[in-house]
Amino acid sequence: MEPMVTEPRALPAGDPDDQVENTASAAAPIRTLSKSPTRIALGRLRRDKVAMICAIICAIYVLIAIFAPVLARLEGQNPTDLHQSLIDEFGYPTIGPTGEHWFGVEPRLGRDLFARWVYGARPSLIVAGAVTAITTAVGVVVGLVAGFSGGWVDRVLSWLIDLVLSLPYLLFAIASSAVLVAIFGGAEGAAPEAVARIRFISLICVLAFFGWASLARLVRGQVLSLREREFVSAARVLGIPTRQVLFKELLPNLVAPIVVSVSLALPGYVVAEAGLTVLGAGLIEPTPSWGLTISAATTYYRADPLYLWLPVLGITILVLALSLLGDAVRDAFDPRTRR
Amino acid sequence: MLIYLLRRIASAVSVIVVTLVASFGLFFVAPTDPAGVICGQRCTPERYADISASLNLDEPVVQQVGEYLKGLVAGRTYHSGGLTIDCDAPCLGYSYTLGQPVTKLIGQALPVTVSIVLGGAVVYLAVGILAGVVAARRRGTYLDRIMVGTSLGINAVPYFVLALLVALYATFLPHAGYHPLLENPLTWAVGLLAAWLTLGVANAAAYTRYARASMIETLGEDYIRTARAKGISERRVVYRHGLRAAVTPIATIFGLDLAFQLTGAIFTEAMFGLPGLGVLTLRAFNQYDLPVLMAGVLIGSVVLVAMNLLVDILYTILDPRVRLG
Repeated sequence: MEPMVTEPRALPAGDPDDQVENTASAAAPIRTLSKSPTRIALGRLRRDKVAMICAIICAIYVLIAIFAPVLARLEGQNPTDLHQSLIDEFGYPTIGPTGEHWFGVEPRLGRDLFARWVYGARPSLIVAGAVTAITTAVGVVVGLVAGFSGGWVDRVLSWLIDLVLSLPYLLFAIASSAVLVAIFGGAEGAAPEAVARIRFISLICVLAFFGWASLARLVRGQVLSLREREFVSAARVLGIPTRQVLFKELLPNLVAPIVVSVSLALPGYVVAEAGLTVLGAGLIEPTPSWGLTISAATTYYRADPLYLWLPVLGITILVLALSLLGDAVRDAFDPRTRR
Repeated sequence: MLIYLLRRIASAVSVIVVTLVASFGLFFVAPTDPAGVICGQRCTPERYADISASLNLDEPVVQQVGEYLKGLVAGRTYHSGGLTIDCDAPCLGYSYTLGQPVTKLIGQALPVTVSIVLGGAVVYLAVGILAGVVAARRRGTYLDRIMVGTSLGINAVPYFVLALLVALYATFLPHAGYHPLLENPLTWAVGLLAAWLTLGVANAAAYTRYARASMIETLGEDYIRTARAKGISERRVVYRHGLRAAVTPIATIFGLDLAFQLTGAIFTEAMFGLPGLGVLTLRAFNQYDLPVLMAGVLIGSVVLVAMNLLVDILYTILDPRVRLG
């Protein structure tokens, strides 16, 4: 006998598109092309002009980050060379933007600002991307396991989620990065590059540690209701191993909340990285980072406004585009929240 | 109700205890050499041993935790270079880089943070709820669209950028600084004005949207139609009948936000140079002042957990429909 396992996908309730499709197929037995909720959402997103513009802006940032060395070579500079000849005795640059230095040079050290700006896109995107990837993977797995297994496993994991969510995130991030740096060889006399690399990794670890819990709680809640549905019971009766039930049966039904959470998390981590760096608890020199440039430029904001405004605009436009894109993605997946 | 309350308190206490033990483990048991840091560059072996002994670093870990807990309840004494320092209960340790008990430092920093956060909250609740109600009443008009668009835009600007730009360029605002409220309420308010406005405007954007959504939902309810049918004036319908029901969900968000801001006002403090809890922790990070770092984290956890508990309890009182499971 053929097992009759059709895969029921959770359709968002009250979605006008789906209802139209359902009534149409019920009235006439003509097979219309049925779309998954994800396809429908992507279609909505493609029609959203603001979302498309934001997506293009984000893509440009990614391209800048990837081709930073190419762009710097195009200008003929690199982010580490010191141009002391362009700095006067008080530490101020003697030139503004020129053909040689497109955005001018840094006060005091005289490093090329354009090169540092394009390289600065990298840590922002790498940290935000890596943290989002880690927190999503951990959050989904923990949420699935906690929601599906129940019992003491659920109780332990839920308690852990509550614990992480009730820690003062910023204070802890600062305090634990101090300790992480000390543990991973913040030994005195270590090369600045090595220390900077450790700070980079410890920043990712700290942000990831505090980030996974909210998604885990969300996924757990969804799984709690999904696991009582017939298709899960059917899969269990058929003897499908638990891992397959989790990832083949339950996970496809969780695509919408996960995508929404990812798209709202990304701008948050860009801000977190830059913010902690500005405070001095994130990345450190010689990593070219917008946050570092902002914190150095605050002393020169009157004499050299371009120095401050380039990284400020870099961060702000990226975060603005990512957040508006995130809002649009949420609206596309859940039309009830649409304005 | 009582059982629910006891269970929530038990879980809150368990979180705080775990935070205490975990941060203790993190800061004092990890190979971080706190004595070496305190001792500094030109450190004699005698002084190093002296500091180690006064921090009880030469004792087993369990005993160190015990000493710390005992200090919290009964106070303890530190011996440093022949000096004896009494640290009264609740003793959170002694900052060697500042030469003061941590409790005193926290006692100085906490009022600053509380002042910033509460003043900011007044601004964003007033502006946000009023703007949200106006937008909800004129739903779909240009005014509504402009308000929603502005709030989305402000919300998407990173908060630290906003605070930085206000601190640098808004020179028309009075110079930021902290003066204790009890000394002179006027200088207290003037010194914090810039911080309040920044925190207020940034959060008002979010509250405008919460209030608008909540108000639109409430104004669609049957009892509002009944109130209108009875011939009550529109103003009275909106502000007396509608707003009162619409603020309940906002109260929950506000409670959680307030808790978060009390432990995360660090950007406001740092950009405006106000010596609050966040700046204290930041300074401790830069100087590797472990007792202060640990106390900052602990106080933050206690504030957060206590606020969450308070919100849960208040919510059951505010909204009788909530049943306790």
